[in-house]
Amino acid sequence: MVSPVLLLAVPLGLALCVPLVGRVSRRAAGFVPVIASLFNLVVSIRLLPTVLEEPIVANLGGFPPPFGITLFAGPVGMLLSALIALAGLVVSLYALSYIKTGPTVRYHTLYMLLLVGATGVVLTGDVFNLFVFFEILCISSYALVAYVGDRAGIEASVKYLIQGALGSALLLIGIGLLYGLFGTLNMADIAARIDSVDSVPVFVAMALIVVGLGVEAAIFPLNAWLPDAHSSAPSSISAILSGIAIQVGLYAVVRMVFTVFGASSVLLFFVFLGLLTLLIGELCAFAQNNIKRMLAYSSIGQMGLIMFALAIATTGSVTGGLFQMVSHTLSKALLFLAVGYMVYRSGSLEISSLEGMGRRMPLTSFAFTIGVFSLVGLPPFIGFPSKLLIVRSALAEQGVLLQVLIGLVLLATVIEGAYFFRVIQTVYFKKEEGQEARQDAPPMALLSMFVFVAFIVVIGVYPNLITDVLESGASELLERANYIGSVLG
Amino acid sequence: MSFLHDYVYYIGAFGLVAIGLLIILVKRNLIKLIIGLSILDTGVNMFLISVGYIRRGTAPIFSRPGLEPDGMVDPVPQALVLTAIVIGVAILALALALAVRFYKTYGTLDLRKAKELRW
Repeated sequence: MVSPVLLLAVPLGLALCVPLVGRVSRRAAGFVPVIASLFNLVVSIRLLPTVLEEPIVANLGGFPPPFGITLFAGPVGMLLSALIALAGLVVSLYALSYIKTGPTVRYHTLYMLLLVGATGVVLTGDVFNLFVFFEILCISSYALVAYVGDRAGIEASVKYLIQGALGSALLLIGIGLLYGLFGTLNMADIAARIDSVDSVPVFVAMALIVVGLGVEAAIFPLNAWLPDAHSSAPSSISAILSGIAIQVGLYAVVRMVFTVFGASSVLLFFVFLGLLTLLIGELCAFAQNNIKRMLAYSSIGQMGLIMFALAIATTGSVTGGLFQMVSHTLSKALLFLAVGYMVYRSGSLEISSLEGMGRRMPLTSFAFTIGVFSLVGLPPFIGFPSKLLIVRSALAEQGVLLQVLIGLVLLATVIEGAYFFRVIQTVYFKKEEGQEARQDAPPMALLSMFVFVAFIVVIGVYPNLITDVLESGASELLERANYIGSVLG
Repeated sequence: MSFLHDYVYYIGAFGLVAIGLLIILVKRNLIKLIIGLSILDTGVNMFLISVGYIRRGTAPIFSRPGLEPDGMVDPVPQALVLTAIVIGVAILALALALAVRFYKTYGTLDLRKAKELRW
């Protein structure tokens, strides 16, 4: 059987080979991430059926838990790792034609390190190891945001770095507190003994860890860096940051709160925080004239929605939240990829400059439209079953409070629809004087966009393809005892 | 005085963390901010070390006779700090490289002068 360790070891090794390959041929360096992501995708999908029956626990260095570092490959970890590999594969294909100028070899190295960091966070079962992978993810994304080296990129990167470094310091203090309290770093071991100590220091540790991880997860008061970073990065990086990086941050928060701390009493707070993040993200997106900033704010909103769904903590809503994660990765990455070439052709980030793109770049505009329809939640695209599941499971809960909150969620979706359809209208129905020649994105970029389109439509029509994985993922997150049992045996 | 005696390392560690946080919140010069980050990191590392520290403790080498486990310093936080220092250096190096680019682009290190991006 293939070990989940390979999901980290192979891409990490290949990432360090990229500079060597780049010495031989700069063009060949771009293919290394493609190979690594393809490998990860195949391994993750092959492991998925095994993991659905029983999670795989791999002990690094042969030390049994709780002493060594464990990798925990459960349904959630494998689902997210497959999602990271898929998005990584498609975006690295896109980058083959999109990233041409600048230090391209370093771009590919950092890009792969970012993917390794993200995969590590979703697979690890050790708190300090989580911190290390989290830092790999963050440091490579700080550098990649400044890749273009223009004024906006450098400013965004500096802001992101300072806020991110502050967050990691808080996270590390939280981890130190946990170690001081429990004398162990293994998540399952901490989870098993969480009730054995005084609850005040545990709460302080949880607050520090949630705030530290929340910076990357773009939870409401901590997300000031996100619109700048996501709009100034090259579009391929924006796609990965929006589609993967922030969701990995959110996953880490959820894993800590659900599994390690088992803190069901603070979940209502997270429901409100998620709703607040959702409303603020969508309202800010509504006010934007810059297309990439609009997409970035919309990502904040989506993170809020996912957090809202996860924090309700019923099987249905957690399934919906995980489904929304998949849906957001596919749709938002597609939107950033399409916008990347639209902006490249029009030469401006203003929404008004996209007038007439429907004629000039018909295929790219078509892919963009599919992404918008899916994100807003129209059938038959993937956003529809995921949002429907969230709304249905929230309505199934008793209580007026939740019914009011779900009303606000639907209001946010209406706002989302309003600003996205404004862009669609600009792209298709505002006629420009003087027809310009048709000039679509290059074939490789179109291919990568249409891979996402295919996934969005196929999963949208047949949501049953992945509901098994999502449901067992939900039960993995909700049932701590099983997690503890499968690690400690 | 025994309180001070027992907790002096924690007080020192959180003192450094507080100084670092204060610098980051108050200063607007990029180099000073980076110095603040560095002090903050040092405070966090010192906190991690103090979690496992025992006064007059020895290294945890079990092959030497006459050493008791309760007199030994916990080695795990020290290993963690080693990793954390390396990560801290990486962030510091990246931050300084960005500071150089920032200065070349804007001609100043004052973050308030950079106003390309607004809400």
